[in-house]
Amino acid sequence: MLFNSLEFAVFLPLVVGLYFCLPSRYRTPMLLIASCIFYMAFIPVYILILFVTITIDYVAGIYVERTNGPGRRAWLVGSIICTCAVLFVFKYFDFFTGNFVGLAHLVGWQLPKPVVNIILPIGLSFHTFQSLSYVVEVYRGRQKAEYNVVTYATYVMFFPQLVAGPIERPQNLLHQFYEKHDFDYERVTAGLKRMAWGFFKKLVIADRLALYVNDVYADPRNFNGLQLSIATVFFAYQIYCDFSGYSDIAIGGAQILGFKLMENFKNPYHARSIPEFWRRWHISLSSWFRDYVYVPVGGSQSGIRRWLLAVMITFAVSGLWHGANWTYIAWGVLNGFYLLVGTATKGWRDRVFGLIGLHRETLLRQTIMLVSTFVLTLLGWIVFRARNMEDAWYVVTHFAQGWDFHQIGTEQFLLRQLPIAVASIILLEMAQLLHGKVSVPSLLTRLPIAPRWALYAGFVMVVVMFGIYQKTQFIYFQF
Amino acid sequence: MPLSPQIEQERDGVPTSPGNALAIGAPPLESVAGLKGEKSTTQKRARLSARSGLIRIVCFFGLIVILLFGLNAMVNSGLRRITTSQFGVSNKIVQGKINADIVISGSSRALTHYDPRIIERTTGMRTFNIGLNGSQTDMQLARLKAYLKHNKKPKLLVQNLDLYSFLTSHEIYEPAQYVPYLSEESIYAGVRRVYPDAWKWKYLPLYGYAVEDMRFSWMMGLKALVEIQPQEDHFDGYQPRDTSWTGDFEKFRAKNTDGVVVETEAQGVRDFEEILWLCAQQGIPVLVVYSPEYYEMQALTRNRKQVLDKAKQIATHFGFPLWDYSESPICRDRSNFYNSQHLNRSGASAFSADFARRLVQMGFVGGQDRP
Repeated sequence: MLFNSLEFAVFLPLVVGLYFCLPSRYRTPMLLIASCIFYMAFIPVYILILFVTITIDYVAGIYVERTNGPGRRAWLVGSIICTCAVLFVFKYFDFFTGNFVGLAHLVGWQLPKPVVNIILPIGLSFHTFQSLSYVVEVYRGRQKAEYNVVTYATYVMFFPQLVAGPIERPQNLLHQFYEKHDFDYERVTAGLKRMAWGFFKKLVIADRLALYVNDVYADPRNFNGLQLSIATVFFAYQIYCDFSGYSDIAIGGAQILGFKLMENFKNPYHARSIPEFWRRWHISLSSWFRDYVYVPVGGSQSGIRRWLLAVMITFAVSGLWHGANWTYIAWGVLNGFYLLVGTATKGWRDRVFGLIGLHRETLLRQTIMLVSTFVLTLLGWIVFRARNMEDAWYVVTHFAQGWDFHQIGTEQFLLRQLPIAVASIILLEMAQLLHGKVSVPSLLTRLPIAPRWALYAGFVMVVVMFGIYQKTQFIYFQF
Repeated sequence: MPLSPQIEQERDGVPTSPGNALAIGAPPLESVAGLKGEKSTTQKRARLSARSGLIRIVCFFGLIVILLFGLNAMVNSGLRRITTSQFGVSNKIVQGKINADIVISGSSRALTHYDPRIIERTTGMRTFNIGLNGSQTDMQLARLKAYLKHNKKPKLLVQNLDLYSFLTSHEIYEPAQYVPYLSEESIYAGVRRVYPDAWKWKYLPLYGYAVEDMRFSWMMGLKALVEIQPQEDHFDGYQPRDTSWTGDFEKFRAKNTDGVVVETEAQGVRDFEEILWLCAQQGIPVLVVYSPEYYEMQALTRNRKQVLDKAKQIATHFGFPLWDYSESPICRDRSNFYNSQHLNRSGASAFSADFARRLVQMGFVGGQDRP
């Protein structure tokens, strides 16, 4: 079920109403049933895959806790292998076999390509990672095994964050299913406002920009340099608003029910360096990779070679996590490269800035760093969004050529959409700039009820009337 | 990404999302500000019981629902007050303000090919064009039924053909052009046959405008309420296109070097037959016309003859003539077209003049050249 669907508009109030009406002991089972219905709205039979993952890690968690010695590690490894095997079969089988057959052709072996035409289950990578983190945390002794299968299944399947995160840790989420959440007006309205902001990002900004981006990236050779440049900047905002919009809706939805999910974004395009960008972008995944890939392969230990290796492995795997395509791997590797080069040249850059009198806190230096980080990020997004490496190369080599200001629109994105797209991006940036400086809600709360409700209702109407409703999935569902 | 040990710290510390700039999703709203006087507000609101909080939320969503219905009514009312553009044409149809002697029906080819002012000058008969952009025969039939319900029977119906006349609609083109008229039985039935979910357009407020329409037609409706009309681009229903050759045909031909085969559907044939049957029942003479099509496209369509033969066969069955303009000199002059199917303004003027003269010559109408 998509958040931006009529079905969800009926589903959520029903679930919330039922949740607060039921006695506490029935609430978690009800959430599990609701989550199943939510997931089965996509492809019903795929719920079985979720059950397989849940069963594997539920059993593994218990045995990891009960067992000592080598058996404990065996349960962990077994659980990781089995869970990843599910991910591999559904997400990567075609990719790896295709590449293997391609390599075999190069050395003269003629192998038939086995093709498993399976539609990727929505959000598979998200709930797989959430499930994996549970077993690892139990193994590390930071989390007690969950013996109640209903609670554990609800932890993996909790519908607000089931298909695109945030990827929760058991320490943050599991215990919340044992807490009693009463209806709290402040919390519920805060959750609703958070959801409204998420819908604004998704429907008004992301899906509007998608019209342009999809047209241009479907065949970049049909467009001039200006259009390629606009599409690339638009994609940066599209993917941010799409994913952070989803996160806002998920966090807000959970908040209504009384659950606190982790934050996933922190104004990523205001970062002044690539490491800072990654501290602000998809935080739940970044921290997952840090804890379960980067640290275990030795990234936190001293030694430059080990560190280099850990960074590149982590970023390459992160790229692969996003999709079974070389463009994603290239995107991951490119970001790892940015990080390495950035770290290696930091001292040199500081000296150059110092020589020309731009000290750390000067506005010009901050602006240069912010813009250069954004441009590097854009370069990464080109590789990420392009259908293949040839298209990516074409965009990179042609975005500065043949700018034609008379030809900006595309077939889907008529020029009447442009002012709304630009205005909504400006509104977004203003909101982000105000973040931490002015508390708009506290200003609103001091207003009498009539103007305050008028503003809230006006915002809802803006989302309704200026949203784009083409039943577009959230980009990250496919990962 | 992995080099961010402070992430967890930051995550658990201050609110981190941009949404929180608006305190969307922040802790209790008042607690964020820490301003004088807010404490009492917080205490007051904290006293709100779950029940009164729930009532407030229900009231707020009630307000939203009222706004949606209110705005929907305003948009519908505004669009139905428009006297210009395509909405002006639809409004004249459902208000019974046309009552023409000659009515031209068809798709965008009818809409852009027949200038009623030229035809009227030559024939002396009140002429109106109800051609519908982006429509197949099924939606043309729906519009014709609405026309006949509200207007007097014409003395002649010109049903214009195109290659796709025997295909049904697979989607509704520009849904907003139908939404204000869903109370018209024939239009609603026509739309629902193509898109069964169209009940949402009728019964869910603003759904047809906000969800289905990307052209902001609702804004046009609101403007019309304050008497701001869209620019007039329809003249007695005719929409001239001041466009030169676009080059789309060359791209199309390059992609279809072996030519194209136009599909036909049994339901599409039945829809065409129903138009002729409806007119025959009501005693309205019909002239079926295949208006000019660019000659190179004619050569590219491999089953063009079969499509035309089928149309002739049906027309003959009902006793109506078919005029085929495929051999007209207009077809051979690219300057008359903006793409292979559509005449531009000058091409349409030439065709309309020729068509009107022929109407008079063949005795379909009287003939009365007016200045």
